[in-house]
Amino acid sequence: MKIAGLLLTILLATGLSHAKDYLDCKFVPGWEQSEAKHLYVADNLWEYKDGAAEGYLQFGFVRMQGISCKSGGDTLTIDVSEMTDADSAYGIFVANSDPNLPVVKIGMGGQVQQQSANFAKGKYYVELVVVAANPNSNQTATLEAFASRIEALLEGRTTAPEALEWFPKQDLTSTRLVPESVLGLRLLKRGYQAKYRQGQAFIVQEASPESAADVLKKLREKFEGVPAAQVADEAFQAKAQYLGGICIFRKGRYLGGYANLPDSKQAVTLAAKLADRIP
Amino acid sequence: MESKTSRREFLSAGLMLPVMGAGSKMGLWNATDGPVAKGANTPAKLEYRTLGRTGLKVTTLGFGCMITSDPSVIERAADIGINYFDTARGYQNGNNERMVGAALGVKRKQLVLSTKTHSKDKVSVLKDLDTSLRELNTDYIDIWYLHGKGSPEEVHDDLIEAQQLAKKQGKIRFAGVSTHSGQQQLLPWMAQKGVFDVALVAYNFSMDAGMDKAIEVAAKAGMGVVGMKVMAGGFRGPKPGVPALDKLKQPGALLAALKWVINKPGVATTIPSMTDMDQLDENLQAMAHPFSASDEKLLAAHLETIRPLYCRMCGECNGACQKGLPVADVLRYLTYADGYGQFALGRENFLGLTAEQAAVRCGDCAECTVQCPHGVQVQGRVARAQELFA
Repeated sequence: MKIAGLLLTILLATGLSHAKDYLDCKFVPGWEQSEAKHLYVADNLWEYKDGAAEGYLQFGFVRMQGISCKSGGDTLTIDVSEMTDADSAYGIFVANSDPNLPVVKIGMGGQVQQQSANFAKGKYYVELVVVAANPNSNQTATLEAFASRIEALLEGRTTAPEALEWFPKQDLTSTRLVPESVLGLRLLKRGYQAKYRQGQAFIVQEASPESAADVLKKLREKFEGVPAAQVADEAFQAKAQYLGGICIFRKGRYLGGYANLPDSKQAVTLAAKLADRIP
Repeated sequence: MESKTSRREFLSAGLMLPVMGAGSKMGLWNATDGPVAKGANTPAKLEYRTLGRTGLKVTTLGFGCMITSDPSVIERAADIGINYFDTARGYQNGNNERMVGAALGVKRKQLVLSTKTHSKDKVSVLKDLDTSLRELNTDYIDIWYLHGKGSPEEVHDDLIEAQQLAKKQGKIRFAGVSTHSGQQQLLPWMAQKGVFDVALVAYNFSMDAGMDKAIEVAAKAGMGVVGMKVMAGGFRGPKPGVPALDKLKQPGALLAALKWVINKPGVATTIPSMTDMDQLDENLQAMAHPFSASDEKLLAAHLETIRPLYCRMCGECNGACQKGLPVADVLRYLTYADGYGQFALGRENFLGLTAEQAAVRCGDCAECTVQCPHGVQVQGRVARAQELFA
C-alpha cells in the first residue's frame, strides 16, 4: 500500500491530466477539502472499488481522479473517471444509472438523487456521493451545484451517441451500451442494445462491411442452417431457447437485429424497420 | 472440505460434460419455428462440494455475475445446473442485482445466491440488505458478504452485529466476508472469530504458499471458501502484439487456471466472471476434466513467462537499490507501457522521478543490489524503462 501511495503521490505531483482544474471543494461555499486527492489507474482501481473495478475496466477505463470534501458533518466524494472515448463514458453512465429515475441534461446525461449524482461528458464519467450526518437529508442542491461547475470545466461531447437515435421509439423502455458480448454472444463484440416492452434490439458497428459479413456468417453457422431473411444486405432468422424469436441482419458495416420475441417472423418485421433507420 | 463425489469417482464414472462447446451448436438453439439443434437438452453432470458449515452443496464452478452482458447467459447456466451465483450491491449501482434477480426468476429458490455490501456501519449495511432483497426479487439472501475487507480492523463489531441480526430476521442464511488483500492475516482471524460461515477470497495459481495455508486454516475451522480472481487477472490485461506477453493467451491457459483452483480441496466453489455463452461452455470444462500434468506444465510455463517481467508489488525491494531508485514504481511504469500499451502514462510517471533518480542508469552498475524474491529480472527491466522513457 505504501508503494501504491507513493505512486499516487508521484502521479499527482506530475500534474497528470487536469485534476487541479475540475476537482475543487471550494466550487460550493461551505465545503473544504478533507483529504489528499486520489488517483487510480486500471492496475490498482480494485484497491478503491474492489470487485466493482471490473465493471469500469470493461467500459474502457483509463484513470480516475477524485477528491474528498467536508462541510460540517457531511462528506462529499467526487470521482472523475476518464474513459477511452465518449461512447464508453456514456456507456458506464447508463450502466450505473437508476432506470427508474429520469435522466437530466448534464453533459451527455446525468442523474441527481438525494445523496448522489452521476453524469457523463465527453470521455469523462463523474460520480458524486454525499455521506451526510443526517442520512435522510436532501443534498440535491449541493450535488447539482458541484455537478454544474465540474461539467462546465470538462471538455467533450454533450449529446448521446448517435446510434441510440436509430432505435424505433415505440414501446422503447431503455437503451444501453453493451461493452462486450451483445446478447451473450461473443461474436457481437460491443454495441448498443434497446429494450422494448417485448423483446430487445441491438446495433453493432464492425470495422468494415467485410468484417460485418464475416461475423454474420459465423453467427449463422452457430445457429445451424437457419433460414435467410429478406432484411437489408443479408439476414437470417431463428428461434433460440434463450433468445426467443431472433433476426440478425447486416447493413454495410453494421449488424443489427431483434431478439426475445415470440417468433422469428415478428423479429424479421421489426428488424426491417430498424434496418431502415440505420443510415 | 467434504466432497460429495471424489475426483476419482467423478472421473471413473465418466461424468464428462456433454455440453462442451454447447454454445456453438448444442443446447442453445431449441427451435420451434426453425431447425432443431443437435444434442439439445442433453443433461450435464456437475461436480459438487459442501460449502463448509453452511452444508450447502454447491457446484465447483459458480457464476460471477458482475460483468455479464446479458441475462440469457445466467439463465442458461442455471438451467445447465450451476447453482451458485454471486453479485454485489455495488456492481453498476445495483443494476447488476436487478439483472441477476430477473435472470434467475423462478429458479431462485433452487439456487445459492450471494450478494455483498460495501457500507461501513450497521444502519447502512442493513439498509443495503433491504435494497438487495428488493432488487434481487427475493425474501432471503443465502450468503451475505461484508465486501472487500483487507484487515480484521475493517470488520467492525457493528457490521458483525448487523449480520447476526439479519440472520435472526431470516433475511440472510449465512454470513461472509469478501477479501482481495491482507487475506493471509484476515482468514486466520475470521477462523478464530467463529461468526463467519463463508469467506470469498482472491485465489489463483500465481499466489504463494502462504495463501494455501490461510485457506486450509479457514476450511478446517468450518468456513466455506469461495474462490474469485481465479484467472489471475493478468491474463486479461496484456495487449495483443506485445511479444513478451503473447504467450499468456495460449490455448487452455485460462481453463488450466480455473482447474487449478477447483483442484484445491479447501475451495468449495469458484466464481469466474462470465460474459457470454462461449465462456460459460469453456468454463464448464473445468468440472469435466481434472487438473492434469499438462495443465501444471502450462501454468508453470506461464509463471516462468511472467516471473522475469511482472512485479507483484510485494515491497521486498524497498530501499534495496544502492542508487536510491524506487524499483517497484519504475517496474510498474514499464508495465503500463509493455503490459497495457499505455506508453504515455508510463512515461509521464517516469518523468515524475526526481532528477537524481531519473539520471540513474542500471547499465552503469556492475552488479545489481536488488534481488527480487519472485524472480523479476530487476536490472534488465529497469534498464529497459530507462531506455524507453528517459
